[in-house]
Parts: sequence; C-alpha cells; structure tokens
Amino acid sequence: QNLKYSNGEKYTLGEIKVSGNTSFSEQTIVAYSGLRKGKEMTIPGEDISDAIKKLWKSNLFSDIEIYITKIEGNVATLEIRLSDLPQLNELKINGVKKSKKESIIADNKLKKGTKVTENLITTTKNFLEKKYKKQGFLNSKVLINTIEVEDSIKTARVNMVLNIDKGEKVKIKDITFNGNEVLSDKKLRKSMKGTKKINRIRILKRSKFIDSTYQADLGHVIDFYKENGYRDARILSDSIIYNDDKTISLEIDVIEGDQYTFGDITFIGNTVYTNEQLNRLLRIRKGDTYNGVELQKRIADNTKPDAADITNLYQNNGYLFSSINPVEVSADGNVIDMEIRISEGKPAYFNSVSVVGNDKTNDHVIYREIRTKPGQLYSKANVVRTVRELGQLGFFDAQEIAPNFINPNPVEGTIDMEYSVKETGSSQIELQGGYGGGGFIGTLGLSFNNFSIKDIFKKDAYKPIPMGDGQKLALRLQASRFFQTYSFSFSEPWLGGKRPVQFSTSISHTKQFLFNPLTRDADKSRSFNITGITFGLAKRLTVPDDYFILSQSISFQRYDLNNYNTGLFTFGDGFSNNLSYTVGLSRNNTSVDPIFPTNGSSFSVTAKFSPPYSLFSDVDYGELKDERDINETILNDPTQSETVRTNASNRIAEIDQERYKWLEFYKVNFKGEWYTQLAKDLVLRPSVEFGFLGAYNNDRGEIPFERFFLGGDGLGNFALDGREVVQLRGYPNQSLSDQDGSTIYNKFSLELRYPITLKASAKIYALGFLEGGASYNSFRDYNPFTLKRSAGLGVRIFMPAFGLLGIDFGHGFDPIGNTGPKNGWETHFIIGQQF
Amino acid sequence: CNEYQKALKAEGEGAIAEKFKLGEALYNEGKFEKANKLFAQIVPNYRGKPQAEKLMYLYSNSFYKMGDYYISGYQFDRFAASYPKSEKVEEVSFLAAKSYYELSPVYTKDQKETKEALEKIQNFINIFPESEYIAEANELVKELDFKLEKKAFEIAKQYNRISDYPASVKSFNNFLFDFPGSTLKEEALFYRLDSAYKLATNSIELKRTLTGVVQLKKQRLEEAKEFYTNFKKTFANSKYISEVDNMATIIDEELNKYTAQVN
Repeated sequence: QNLKYSNGEKYTLGEIKVSGNTSFSEQTIVAYSGLRKGKEMTIPGEDISDAIKKLWKSNLFSDIEIYITKIEGNVATLEIRLSDLPQLNELKINGVKKSKKESIIADNKLKKGTKVTENLITTTKNFLEKKYKKQGFLNSKVLINTIEVEDSIKTARVNMVLNIDKGEKVKIKDITFNGNEVLSDKKLRKSMKGTKKINRIRILKRSKFIDSTYQADLGHVIDFYKENGYRDARILSDSIIYNDDKTISLEIDVIEGDQYTFGDITFIGNTVYTNEQLNRLLRIRKGDTYNGVELQKRIADNTKPDAADITNLYQNNGYLFSSINPVEVSADGNVIDMEIRISEGKPAYFNSVSVVGNDKTNDHVIYREIRTKPGQLYSKANVVRTVRELGQLGFFDAQEIAPNFINPNPVEGTIDMEYSVKETGSSQIELQGGYGGGGFIGTLGLSFNNFSIKDIFKKDAYKPIPMGDGQKLALRLQASRFFQTYSFSFSEPWLGGKRPVQFSTSISHTKQFLFNPLTRDADKSRSFNITGITFGLAKRLTVPDDYFILSQSISFQRYDLNNYNTGLFTFGDGFSNNLSYTVGLSRNNTSVDPIFPTNGSSFSVTAKFSPPYSLFSDVDYGELKDERDINETILNDPTQSETVRTNASNRIAEIDQERYKWLEFYKVNFKGEWYTQLAKDLVLRPSVEFGFLGAYNNDRGEIPFERFFLGGDGLGNFALDGREVVQLRGYPNQSLSDQDGSTIYNKFSLELRYPITLKASAKIYALGFLEGGASYNSFRDYNPFTLKRSAGLGVRIFMPAFGLLGIDFGHGFDPIGNTGPKNGWETHFIIGQQF
Repeated sequence: CNEYQKALKAEGEGAIAEKFKLGEALYNEGKFEKANKLFAQIVPNYRGKPQAEKLMYLYSNSFYKMGDYYISGYQFDRFAASYPKSEKVEEVSFLAAKSYYELSPVYTKDQKETKEALEKIQNFINIFPESEYIAEANELVKELDFKLEKKAFEIAKQYNRISDYPASVKSFNNFLFDFPGSTLKEEALFYRLDSAYKLATNSIELKRTLTGVVQLKKQRLEEAKEFYTNFKKTFANSKYISEVDNMATIIDEELNKYTAQVN
C-alpha cells in the first residue's frame, strides 16, 4: 500500500513476516530490525526507516524493503523482504606474481567469507588500477568477475576472479611545449618536479607518468612563469600521445602573455611597524620583475616556520590575530601597483597554558620547560621552541608533540595554549652475555630516563617502576673471569625544583685480574682496582643566549695495583690518585628529534685539570727525571749484568710511583657539530673534534691515564683509566694512536643522513660519511693536514627499549702506520648513542 | 580446581549451562578471575536469550572486582544500554561511573579520565536523583573535583617556585575564577599575593610601551596591595597573617615614596 509520509498514523504492530533469499532465521532478522510485535508506531514514519537502516548497517543484506501487508483496525502486519549479500568463496588472481597476491588480499580485505558488495568490487578495481598507474603502468587494466556458486549450502556465495593486466611500464619519451618564446622547453621541463622525460643519467627520479603528479606539475610550470613576471601565463591545452606500448609523449601548449613589473607598493593598516621596517622584510622595489611567488614568501613563507617574513614579525610579537593580504590595485601598462593590507588585531596574551597526554610524566617536569607562560604575550617563536624542547626531554614522541590553540578570543586578545604530548618508553634494559676479551662477559644494565626517586618506597608507584619526575638513574654490572665493573649514576635536572641546575653523581668500581699465562686463567691474587666518584652541577645560562650550559664537576679516582705488572705500569704494587675538576661550556640548539636532529648545532668546550701539586711539593722532579733517564739506559743496555738491570728497573718503578701518586695534568676538549637540511629529508652533519692533554711540569711528564685512543667504532665500553675513545671509522679500534694512547688528536667528519622511518616504535636512518683524523704525542708532530681519511655507509636503528644500534662499513684510504698499503674495508657495530 | 579445569575445557550443549552454574558459584566465592574466564566462554551462546541479563551482570561485575576498570566501565555501559528496564540498571549505571572514577590518575598527570569520570557520575546523578548511591556519587564528584583543583593550584604554585611571578599571578587569577569555592582558596590567595609582592619589589621602575611610558613598579605595587586587601578581608585569622602583614608594610613603604615625590 502506498501511504503518504506526512499523514502517518499510529498503529500497533501485528505479525512481522520475513521473505526473500536469506539463510538467517525470521526471529533473528526481526529482532535485529528493532521491530517488535505489539510495538506502537507511526506508519509511515521514522521507525520503519530506522529498521531499514539498522538492517543495512549489518552489512549482511541487500535489497531491503518493508511492506505493510494488511491493516486491521489499528493493527498493521508487516513484511520484511531482503536477500543475503553473497559471501566470497574463492578468489582467483591472474596476472601478478604469487608473492603479490597476499598483499592484494590484505589491502582490499578480500578474505574468504567477506560480503561481496558492488562497492567492494568498484573500490578494489579502482585501488588496483591506481596503484599500478602510480608505479608507471599507465595502461594497466583490472577486470573483476563474480560467479555464483551453486551447491547444497544455502548461503549465497560467489567466486571472484581478478584479472590484472599491468601492461608495459610506460615512460615519457618527450615533453614538448608550444607557444613558449621567452622560456625554453628545457627550463620549463626542469620546473616540472615529478614528471620527467627519459634520461639515462638521472637515476634518482624515474620517468614514469602519474596523472596526479602531472597535474601538479602543470601548476608548477605556471608558477615558474609567474616567478618570472608572466602573470597571465596559462596552459592552453595538453595532450598525451601514445607512441607505442612503452612510451608516451606529452605536448603542452602555453600562452605566455606579457611580462609584468612591480609598481608602487603601499602598506595599509600598519600601526605597530613603520613602512620602513616592513619594506626591509619585503625587499621588493618598484620596477622589479613581478614575482607573485616571491612576494607571497616574503609575506608568509610556508616552507620555513621560522623564516624572517612579515607574518612572523607580527606573530612573534603577540599579534596572533593579525592577517596580511597583498592586493593588486592596478595593472596599468603591465605595471602592477600593490597594496599590502594589514589587519593587526589586538595583541594576544596567553590565558591558560596546559598539557594533555602526560599519563606518566608529572606536571611539574613539563611545565617548567614550557616557554609560553600564562599572562605572557603570544609569540610563535616561543611556541616552536617549546615544542622543540619538550621533544628533547626524551619522554615524549618528538614527532607527535602538537601545540593546540584553544578559545582564541580576538575581542579580548587572549588565547589558551594546550600542548598535546604522547609518552614513549624511556627506559632501557640491557642484558647480554657474550664471548670477548678472553672469556664470557655478562652485562646487566638498567637505565631509567624518567625516574622518580621520591616514589621509590611507594608501592603504588611501581608500574612497573616509579616514573615521572624526569630523573635519570642507571645501574650497570659487568663481569667476566678477568674483570668486574659496577657503576651507578643518578641525575636530577632541576636540583631543588627552583632553577634548572642539573645535579648528577656517579659511583663506579672496577676490578681487573691479571691473565695468568700458565693456567690460562685469571690470577685472583694480582689485581688492578679502580674506584671513582663524581659530582657534577650543570646550569643553563642566560648570557650570551639561553642555549648555553655551564657545567662543573669534581671527580676522584683511585687506581690500586696489587702485584699487577704489565707494560702499562712500571710499578706492580702501588697506587695512583686522580682528583680533578672539570668545567665545560656547551651550547645545543639542535632540533627537534634528539635521535634524528634536522637542524641546529651543538658544541662544547671542556677543560679538566688536577691541582698543580708540583708547585707545593719540594720533590725535585727534574732530578728524578734525570735519574730515571739514566736507569732507563741501564735497563736497555744488554751488556749490563742482571742484578744491575733489576736494580735499575726497581728504581724506575719507585720514581714512577712518586710521579703518579697524585696525577697532575690538564686536558682540553672541543667538539662541534652542525645539522642542515639539504632537501626535505636529507640532513648534512659536519663535525669537528679536538683534544689535548698536557702537563704543568714537564719534568713530571704527561700521565699515562686520561689519554685519547683514535680509530674504530668509538665504543668505550671498558674504559679503565679515564681514556677517551674517539670514533674514526674505516680503521680498526684504537689503531690510530700509540699503544698507551696519544695526547693530542683532531678529527673532522661529514655525515649525510636519510631517515627511513621516524615512528616512535622504531626510528631508522641510513647514513654516508667522509671523515679524517689523526693523533699525536706532541705539538712538534702536530699537523692538521696529514689525516687518516675514510669514507663509508651505515644504518642506525633506534628502538625505545634497546637504544641505538647500528652498523657501519668504512673504507680507510690511508695506511695505519706511516707507510704500507691502505687499510681498506672495516665493519663497525655501533651500540648506544654517540655524542 | 580440577572441576574448574574440566569445565573450562568442556564443550557441547550441556557444558554451557554447566559453565554458567560453576561460574556463578565461583563468583559468589569471590574467585572472580576464574569465574570471568568461564563467563567469557559462554557470553556468545547466551546472546539474545533471557539468561543473558544475569550473565552479563555477573560478567561485567567480575571485571570490576578484578580491577579491570577499563573493561568493566565498557561492559556496565553496554549492560545499561541493552537492558534499560532491568532492576539492576541503577546499580550498574553507578558501577559504570565508578569504574571511570577508578581510572582517574594522580593529579600530577593528565586528567582526561578524571573529566570523563565526572561527566559519567554527573550523568548518573541526573538520571537517578533518588538513588541510594547518590551520597557516594557526590563523594566521588567531590574527590575528582578536588583533583582538578589541586592540579591547577600546584601548577600555579610551581610558577611561584621557579620565580616566574607574572605567570604565577595570572595562573592564580585563573584558579580563583575557575574554582571560586575551593578549599585551597586561602593558600591560593596567599601565593598570589606572594608572587605579586616579589614581582613588585624586584620590578624595574619604568617600561616603554607603544602607548607611552608606564610606571611599571608602581602599577605592580598597587596590584600587590589590592591582593593584600583581598586576603586580609577574607582570611583575617590566617596562619599566614603575620607574613602577609610584613609584606603589606613593605609595599606601603615603597608606595609612600611615590606620594612623597608628588609632594
């Protein structure tokens, strides 16, 4: 029966029947529809259409209709007619390799049992055609057939056949332009970013044809004309010519029009900044070739968030609600007069500043780092810097920190700021066993980068460890038959919570046993112990700018030898103390991701020195030195008798013990690195390093500790004596310094990095490097131009739970010693962050 | 335990009823995890049947008792939507709201769950204004509200602590506006005054702005004085009163210099 929608009447539902080709029970369908016997409803009305909608939504049926079959009094009998959607039974894919089939099934969700709708068929077809076209198969065709399965099973089922004909890969043979007189074909082709004709030399970009890219490139051609003052340039027509199955040619007809120049440029509406100030940023004069793209860039450069353009001038000084519009007021005789209309608006102040998404890190750790404060004038630069610095904390996924502007109120001039963050795992566990250094080495390392020491006795806080106060805590135990190392370190970035003064401390103890060549085992009676403790404070400075950090630390180390005679020490029983003060100045404004910085620079200068003991001591070191030299000669003279030589050796040991009782030295280090984005994803990192170890008293000489070891992967896993291991790939570990280390080194390196993925779960990047360095034992030998050079490739993987892992293949171009063949290829495994 | 393992592995028509029975028994004994496992197996079998109401009630409750509040909140909500006429609906709605309450974290972290819980509980109060759970619901609201209050208060106080006084004054102003009846009002007023006082006494004298030269220090002293008056009026017997009075004396001394200059 046909009934008008508007004059629906109230009925009580009687029987509801279900008909049509369906395998579902009547009861199920009625229940699902939401209709119920005895229910009161208006017919026609909302309830019926709701029921149809519900059934549609189930994605199980097609052709759903509801009829009134009978009306008796106010009792209506309904009938639901529908048929089941067929299920996918078998899928056959022709025309692609077996290995690709699974991905096709996954991408289009073509699993067995899927309901086959028209929509599914169309989207699958479009998806595949689009995909192949993107790969350059312009002539690809996809045909989808469905065949009903007829068997004893009631459920409607179909078999599907996907016929894929990718055809040949189509390349662009030629791109020609017609109608261009001023700009050559070559220049216009160059302006097309993604559509290129065949060129055997160019390997980075292929000459495939993708329609969407091509359309964008036509826009680029016009933009190119506009940049050169041809404001009226247009594409008249463009045609694709199919040469054969493999190649096409593109023909593009353009109209160039006339070249325009800038006329008068006037600013309107500016009260805060004078015309002069604005012109200084605009840098466009009357008579210049008209270039709309450049003009737009000077007003608002969308490619660089911190560009020096007019928009940022306003945005960085509180004028959040400002808007700047260039308007052409006249174009008389190809000369364009511009009006730059500025609506300044009220300066905006931050009302409230908040953070969301911190479900591990406590508020106070985050708010103290935020540079946009409530009540402060809005500044875009501060927002950008806050995002950068929150990323550098390492507690949040740097790629996901978003500044959200909430409740903008142009009338009051206020804005609320909300930083949305996403926590990432910032703890690392290292548990490893391995064979190395003559035996089994076991390592247990725990490092928590967002620890909360105040919660350490709270049971509730263990989920699984107390977190959220931004403190770092690390424990490391390493043991083998020959040595044991224990270390503990802790740092708090805001000591006392009032000022950003970082406090750090570490304690370590190492015990090394001598290798006994007779038993081929560790000789436990002969050992070398090192115990050390360090306290440090680091303070953020405000002058010259607030990226500077001044750090100071005091450390004490005691070396204890028990009957431990090796080449390194002339005395087997004895000790040596190292009390030193380190002061460092560093500046770091790299951003944004600490794992993969894309711009900014970081450098540091540190000086480490011990007290000048020889000033206060009355020992005559000159005399000792002479005596040592004489004894050394005796020792090396084979004509001397055994007893005399032993006596000389003992005397040397005594003298050395006197020299090294308290280590006297100073050491200067400089490191600098820069990051620049070459292309969108390509980052260049030049770096330079320099180090120098010296003695106050030349008679006492340079100490055998604290030295530089150049070469190899730069991993200082097992540093006993304050040594600094410096990375120089392409050479074996520590091969470019003397056996006992060097006192001077320098290193220069150039690294090119390309990110493969920067997701929070795993960050991967590839790199290529060129580097060179050398080490020396005195300034007499020093020559910054005779370097050991190398080049190579590598990859880094950062995963929050494992830290940084990597492998580098380096080729050394120079011999390890002074002469000999070049070193050749070396493989380096990198574990942990390199600084 | 043997019986339980057997039931867990049993299959077939008869096993379903058996699982329900054993599950319920275990639930009553307080062995919620075991009961939950059994219920999870039979939930699909009872969908659409009259026993499902009781099963879903026990099933949802078992999550709640296990402390799995994310799931219990969801299951209780589903129950309330599926059986709006059930006699348990009031209790279940309350437990749904309370599940969200349990998810609310400590005030120093993101309060997304707290706000969700407040919304849920308020909803419950609106729908069942006569409920026996109202008193408890009101308690929960109070507790959650206090968390938000405490959070805002501590953030404002931290600005004072890190010597960012303008941000502290602004944040306390926002705090007093957002939570007018707060129990932390006395402290908030005190710290606002403290921030304004420190800001004023350490202020530079003059500041050049677009509209002309502003007597910055005088302006700030006057603001601090205003905050003092406000504090004194509201909390005359405060534990901070002697400290506050000392500030006022210094503020007055400084302000007197300006009047002396005019004379």
